[in-house]
Amino acid sequence: MEIKFIIIITVALFFIALVQLMKIYDLAAKVRGEKSQEKVSRSENMLMANLMLVFMVVFFGFVIWLISKYGSNSGLYTSATIHGRDIDELLMFNWWIILPVFFITNTLLFGFSWKYYHREERTALYYPHNNKLEAVWTIVPAIVLAFIVIYGLMTWNKIMYNQEKGEIVEVYGYQFGWIVRYSGVDNTLGKADYKMVSATNPLGVITESTIKDTYLEIDQRVNDIDSILSNNINGDGEYLLPESKVDKLQEELDRHKRRKYRIEASIDRKENNVNVYESSNDDIIVQEIHLVKDQPYTFKFRSKDVIHCPWFPHFRAQINAVPGMETSFALTPTITTAEMRADPDVQKHWENINVIHNERKRRIGEEEERVLFDYVLMCNKICGAGHSNMQLKVIVETQEEFNNWIENNGDNKRLTFSGQEVSWSKTKEQASL
Amino acid sequence: MAHDTHHHKESFITKYLFSQDHKMIAKQYLLTAIFMGAIGITLSALFRMKLGWPDERFPLLESILGSDAAPDGLLDSNWYLGLVTLHGTIMVFFVLTGGLSGTFSNLLIPLQVGARDMASGLLNMIAYWLFFLSSVLMAASLFIETGPAMAGWTVYPPLSVLAEFQPGSGLGMTLWLLSMTVFIASSLIGGINYIVTILNLRTKGMTMTRLPLTIWAFFITAILGVLSFPVLLSAAVLLLMDRGFGTSFYMSDIVTSSGALDATGGSPILYEHLFWFLGHPEVYIILLPALGMTSEIISTCSRKPIFGYRAMIGSMLAIGFLSFIVWGHHMFLTGMNPFLGGVFTFTTLLIAIPSAVKAFNYITTIWKGNVIMTPAMLFCIGSVSTFISGGLTGIILADSALDISQHDTYFVVGHFHIVMGMTAILGMFAGIYHWFPKMYGKSMNKRMGMVHFWITIVCGYGVFLPMHFLGEGGLPRRYYENTNFPMFDHFLDLNIMISIFASVGVIAQVIFFFNFFYSIFRGPKSSQNPWNANSLEWTTPVEHVHGNWIGEIPTVHRWPYDYSKPGKDTDFVPQHIPLDDNEEEH
Repeated sequence: MEIKFIIIITVALFFIALVQLMKIYDLAAKVRGEKSQEKVSRSENMLMANLMLVFMVVFFGFVIWLISKYGSNSGLYTSATIHGRDIDELLMFNWWIILPVFFITNTLLFGFSWKYYHREERTALYYPHNNKLEAVWTIVPAIVLAFIVIYGLMTWNKIMYNQEKGEIVEVYGYQFGWIVRYSGVDNTLGKADYKMVSATNPLGVITESTIKDTYLEIDQRVNDIDSILSNNINGDGEYLLPESKVDKLQEELDRHKRRKYRIEASIDRKENNVNVYESSNDDIIVQEIHLVKDQPYTFKFRSKDVIHCPWFPHFRAQINAVPGMETSFALTPTITTAEMRADPDVQKHWENINVIHNERKRRIGEEEERVLFDYVLMCNKICGAGHSNMQLKVIVETQEEFNNWIENNGDNKRLTFSGQEVSWSKTKEQASL
Repeated sequence: MAHDTHHHKESFITKYLFSQDHKMIAKQYLLTAIFMGAIGITLSALFRMKLGWPDERFPLLESILGSDAAPDGLLDSNWYLGLVTLHGTIMVFFVLTGGLSGTFSNLLIPLQVGARDMASGLLNMIAYWLFFLSSVLMAASLFIETGPAMAGWTVYPPLSVLAEFQPGSGLGMTLWLLSMTVFIASSLIGGINYIVTILNLRTKGMTMTRLPLTIWAFFITAILGVLSFPVLLSAAVLLLMDRGFGTSFYMSDIVTSSGALDATGGSPILYEHLFWFLGHPEVYIILLPALGMTSEIISTCSRKPIFGYRAMIGSMLAIGFLSFIVWGHHMFLTGMNPFLGGVFTFTTLLIAIPSAVKAFNYITTIWKGNVIMTPAMLFCIGSVSTFISGGLTGIILADSALDISQHDTYFVVGHFHIVMGMTAILGMFAGIYHWFPKMYGKSMNKRMGMVHFWITIVCGYGVFLPMHFLGEGGLPRRYYENTNFPMFDHFLDLNIMISIFASVGVIAQVIFFFNFFYSIFRGPKSSQNPWNANSLEWTTPVEHVHGNWIGEIPTVHRWPYDYSKPGKDTDFVPQHIPLDDNEEEH
């Protein structure tokens, strides 16, 4: 309360001081013989004109400083994918057109404002139009833009209509994290449906056993609610519970029944789904994305709740994950994590990051640590409170390293739908977040 | 003319509150916009504190926002998104749409076309009060315990549908939708009125090609608004139904903590299409009035006709038309058909051509001019500079292939704040300084105006230029904190710099607020035509009268840009002065 009071007093005093200052200024202006605020004096015009020039120099200096310090991709280095390098080249092409135009037009603008400031003895040139000149600056930008459009669309089509069949990996976004599923030897993801999503089946994968489990789960909950309702009824058929609670329970009951009916009607059709059931047998759910260098991948994205946007900054790859719709993005990583860490530029950059990182850690009283370069997946579409921390480590490695990891990684146990011995626990934790 | 000058006595209520006089309504719009603008920029300064100093606790935050929003001075992550959302909504809709068009279309259309008032004074008054109501509703959502809408100013479903996804999607979002519905009604009523007035109430001799460029800009703006706002209304109504009535226009295949929802068959992409069908023309609804006023002021203060008058009109028409077929560039990465992405890249880059024409025409107008550095002119030069700088980075974002690596990063934030935010706000300031004498019959203090300009432009560029580099480094926008990723640690000091520029820039606006309100009450009385300008509004008396002109409305004989015309005694020839015997028009 006191702070607020002090703030209010300070602000009020500030304004009173300002008003007094203005009064002094007005008086001084009167003494000087200035009658109005409308006429800008010669010295003021000159001062403003010179400031235009000073500003231009500082402004350009600032831009050049920013480019020299943070240019060259601000820490994203060379793209680690094939298509990413196309994007980077296209970007450089655009910068080489944009930056000269930026400097030239701003120089003309501020330069003319400086050169042609008002003096009584000068007269402005009456120059209402010049069709030739206007045609020039319509046609020249049109030609330049034609190049930009053509080059841009060629790159876009190359990336988006990538026909190469890659290994399929699914990334499933939820508030606030990702679940990753490899499609296994058959390179086909087992079919999934949001109605099947449960604590034990975080991706909603459809198999005979998950359908059975889902029925069990639904039946159990339905029985629970039924028994709550029937235990709380009196002789006259009135509920002893508050009305709102009863409504809520009944609503939930209906929802479970509807869900079961819909699963029966649209999902539980064994005769249509034999292949579907089988393709999930070798699917694997993991905690980190491991990719093999030079292997093409096709990422499939789904979302559990709201729109997310998987963003791999070092791969120059992102596309939205939209509930109710599957999106995909194809990419081929070309540099392993180890190679990237060994790069002298990257090493230098991460030395610097370590210094800044640990300075902050000391300041906030946390333990210092050594941070290393890693590829990362993050969320790039506003999705709620945890939006800024939806991260997943991505590792690019050689085929041997990958095989080694997938065969006997203790922490990322294989999770298949055929072998029941594997640990569900990790994903269970994650799914119930 | 339709009616003569009225001189009946007015009460306080009919004069200051429920006035039907366009000049008073313009002032009402301006005051509301300044009030909303103060809220909007303050919010940005508050969330910039968190971004600049992620580990500091600011007791100030708790005392301003309350302990729900900033317990122990540390901004809550949901509230952070709430502040971002309301900052965007308020600046885009309430300051730069309602405020900018509302103020200057109302003030200048009747005065510059030579009309006694708007076509319908009553509708005009209703439009303002709806705008006021929607402003109150939006501001009120800041005082809810669960916070205002938090899904970003675009409020994409499903995030904005269920309070389970974020607390602001409850009551806060309901207020947002109600406010926007009222706002849209206000915009439509206002827009129709502007169009009708411009088409029907021009004075004798005021042909369409003798209209000041301000009027052309307001005219095209109003058409854009009338054609696109209804689409946002339908998007909002469908969203309201998804939220309250169990429909699933935008919802499908969603699992919440209480299990799978019933909703099926809808698509959030539908909402995005509807939203951006307004959202992109909206950018030009914001920009064009500012550019129109800039044209007028640059010509007046350079004492030189605007270069390429017809090309300026043509390029505004082209921008207006193109703005309707480019909305998909906000959605390249939604999973939309890649072919469609290619089409939108093409149409979007087309806009660069008329924009280039405009920029070069401004520069040529200043060339060999006799530039008087009034505060308004300074703001115009700044506005042209930001229009160029921000427009150029737009070329990168328009390219769908490049959008893959820039989409929704800080590059986008830097780009649109410079090209749309700063250009429009600098243009709006220019308009306020230039037409303040017309509004209040007083002059604003010029030196304060100059100081205000220099601090604003330096801080504006200081905030938004570095953001491009954050974006190039891959930093996503709308992140509550960047410290979760060590790869962004080297941006720590850049973010501090941005936050310092932002706070200084926001505090510097106090100079403007003070100058504005001080001058209303204590500023020196202005003369009738302080800038020696040609357009009709400067032929009206300084004291406001009903019907604008005492006696006849002047007849127009020439275009409004006869500055420094050879063979004339003065360096300006107002529009109502007849042509000499063998004088060419232009």
